Amino acid sequence: MMSKLGVFDISVRYGKIPAVTDLSLQINEGERVFVSGPNGAGKSSLLGAISGAVATSHGRIEMDGDLLTGRQPEAIARLGLSMVPEGREIFGALTVEENLRVGTGMRRDVQAVEADVGEILDAFPILAERRHAAAGALSGGQQQMLAIGRALMTNPKLMMVDEPSLGLAPKIVDQVYETLCALQEERSLTLLIVEQSSLRAARVGGRMILMRGGRIVGEGNAADMADREALAQAYFGAPRSNSDMEAAE
Amino acid sequence: MTNLAQLFFDAASLGGLYAMAALGIALIFGVMNLVNFAHGEYIAFCVFALIVPSTDAVAVMFLGKAPALILIPLVLGIGALIAVLSEYAVFRHLRRADPVAMMVASFALGFVIRNILLAVYGGRPKAISLWPELNTPVELAGASVPLLQLIVIATTLIVVAALALLLRKTRLGLEMRAAAENFTMARLLGVRANVVITGAFALSGALAAAVALIMVTQSGVADVRVGGQIMLVAFIATVIGGMGSLPGAVAAGFLIGAVSVLLQAALPLDARPFRDAFLYTLVIVCLLLRPQGLFVPASAKPRI
Ligand SMILES: Nc1ncnc2c1ncn2[C@@H]1O[C@H](COP(=O)(O)OP(=O)(O)OP(=O)(O)O)[C@@H](O)[C@H]1O
Ligand SMILES: [Mg+2]
Repeated sequence: MMSKLGVFDISVRYGKIPAVTDLSLQINEGERVFVSGPNGAGKSSLLGAISGAVATSHGRIEMDGDLLTGRQPEAIARLGLSMVPEGREIFGALTVEENLRVGTGMRRDVQAVEADVGEILDAFPILAERRHAAAGALSGGQQQMLAIGRALMTNPKLMMVDEPSLGLAPKIVDQVYETLCALQEERSLTLLIVEQSSLRAARVGGRMILMRGGRIVGEGNAADMADREALAQAYFGAPRSNSDMEAAE
Repeated sequence: MTNLAQLFFDAASLGGLYAMAALGIALIFGVMNLVNFAHGEYIAFCVFALIVPSTDAVAVMFLGKAPALILIPLVLGIGALIAVLSEYAVFRHLRRADPVAMMVASFALGFVIRNILLAVYGGRPKAISLWPELNTPVELAGASVPLLQLIVIATTLIVVAALALLLRKTRLGLEMRAAAENFTMARLLGVRANVVITGAFALSGALAAAVALIMVTQSGVADVRVGGQIMLVAFIATVIGGMGSLPGAVAAGFLIGAVSVLLQAALPLDARPFRDAFLYTLVIVCLLLRPQGLFVPASAKPRI
């Protein structure tokens, strides 16, 4: 297996508040990795550090052997990393189609860009319907689809998605994951997905990383991890508390 | 009737000038939250680029001697260049700084440019005659209108249309609009911050140059202080229009031009010297009623 992404001992802090501490992580080419953990665990900060949106105070990040640390976000995006951020960050004043095209400035394969626009509008018919409407008028679920489509338009090799299921109806989440997995297959994408629900991650399948307090506290096959959580819930009647989590380590 | 038509042309041409100046400020504010108070000095710089550097009272044409077809693009290019250079020398280093720090830096930069102009050209206003034939009146709609007024109105319309086209139809325009809305997200999609910001400064500087050409032709004076005066009005127009809103800046520029022409015509003779006091009172009333700007749709979230 070829290593796609290497995170070596990174730390992220906001002023004095540590968000990620001495975290290391390897992701292989074509792999699907879920990051789970409670609120404030540092999941978004980890993605931010990889994408270059958030500065690291320590450590080094590599993609395909290129050093990402210290690069501008646009330079990292141009190396083939794309991001669907928490909260979607749709350009509300732009049309749906314009949103899709913002990230295509780096691409020289003009015909493939047009084909991709078509493919994404096919994958999400609701976007095709609203193609020329202001994106700000889309519903939350539609915006999530647009954010995913927009990230795909850069033709990434590694795509990071921060909580795609947040605020969406379960049916829509199914659809979003179906599309993500299909596209991953088709484009040999590597996916790093923040997903709160271990059940969902287990159902989609892949490796799962559990974060807490800025560190990785557990790692394994998503299905096994979900089983462990279900077991813990059966025994303790509630999502695992802090001490259980450490015990599980 | 004659009077009405006259008023209309006065209002539209003054408003057009303000609109172009306001656009120059709104463009920069839109992409980087900077109120660039040096914008007025870009205008002054372009005015003085027309004449031979000297402290004499009478201006000798330098670039100003060139035929219009060469002169206009040349001056627009000079405006773009000084704006881009100032971004490169000053604002680029302050990208992550507080907006207030950037604003103060823009004051300082304006001060530097103004003092360079003062040192080279002296402080006295100079008579300068650029395209004097444009001030010959033509008869239109029963009014006698200087040809220049019509040109100003047409120029404004063309500039606004061209800018709208550029923003709607070009790659740079798309990136600028995306960056204006959410710069970080645009960069995460590979939009290069430097390209967008340099583009915005170049456009803004070219707008300053257009304003400079019009003002010089209209007034026949090269004065270091022109920049400060128009900058004030343009800044107010961008605030009233809703910071960063380009259509708002244009609309508010026209509105301020129209109101000041109307006040000039309607105020009793004794009160006319205080026209600007009335104008700014109206500005305050506007801001009290709609602090987010007159032309920002009610549903849009405030940008500052
Ligand atoms: N912009 C910021 N400024 C200051 N502190 C921040 C900032 N963003 C995050 N933090 C802090 O960093 C820590 C990790 O936050 P982060 O957003 O990475 O967590 P998360 O795992 O994504 O949480 P959630 O599940 O709620 O999205 C938290 O303690 C948070 O308070
Ligand atoms: Mg998060």
